Amino acid sequence: MAETAALPLDPRAVRLDEHADGREEAVRRCGQVLVEIGAAEESYVEAMLERERSISTYVGEGVAIPHGTLVGKDAVHHDAICVLRFPEGVDWDGEQVTVCVGIAARGDGHVALLAELAQILLDPEQALTLRTATEVSEVVALLQPREESSE
Amino acid sequence: MPERTVTVASRSGLHARPAKIFVQAVARQGTPVRIRVGDGKPVPANSMLAVLSLGARHGVEVTLDADGPQAEETLAALADLLSRDLDAEDGTDA
Repeated sequence: MAETAALPLDPRAVRLDEHADGREEAVRRCGQVLVEIGAAEESYVEAMLERERSISTYVGEGVAIPHGTLVGKDAVHHDAICVLRFPEGVDWDGEQVTVCVGIAARGDGHVALLAELAQILLDPEQALTLRTATEVSEVVALLQPREESSE
Repeated sequence: MPERTVTVASRSGLHARPAKIFVQAVARQGTPVRIRVGDGKPVPANSMLAVLSLGARHGVEVTLDADGPQAEETLAALADLLSRDLDAEDGTDA
């Protein structure tokens, strides 16, 4: 296991009841939330769409992780993630996505972020919590490592 | 079991896009392959989440292992893939 680092998740970036007509709209929503919390500039949204068109960011377990291209990195102000849940599901190139974790990261910070996130999703119990949590605070708690497990 | 150690060449590391290209290539080979970083626990190389959980940055050495009659060939092809900058190949294989 890699060392755990807190995922930079602002509670304002957790949305439990989103709707999108398709993959593009879902990615756009993720980008808008990252812009709203001040993590990225508007142009990062386009970089996220470009990445998504180039290759799907679906990772399994009903989860996609939209993020920008290398070119879009200048549009990132600070590392951040957002969690958007789509209870009705979004068709993702034939896969059903109910959770999007949007990522804005400078440099290679996203590799550590993705590793952290993947470890949570690989744990069936934690993945279930992410899909079914009814409170924003539950999602935030899940993605922030507990103090006793910091080593 | 045959093994190959290779340095991750993709500029941004073995993350979403290069990882996906790698995982898809593993799936096409049809031989079970595992991947690990250093002495870490080997994980199935055909699982996107497992590969991402390695957090392998640019320049990190990863070790692949495989079993079966096609093992050597499979490992050579996959090692070749990882030693290329998959971020620089936008638009191909997507």
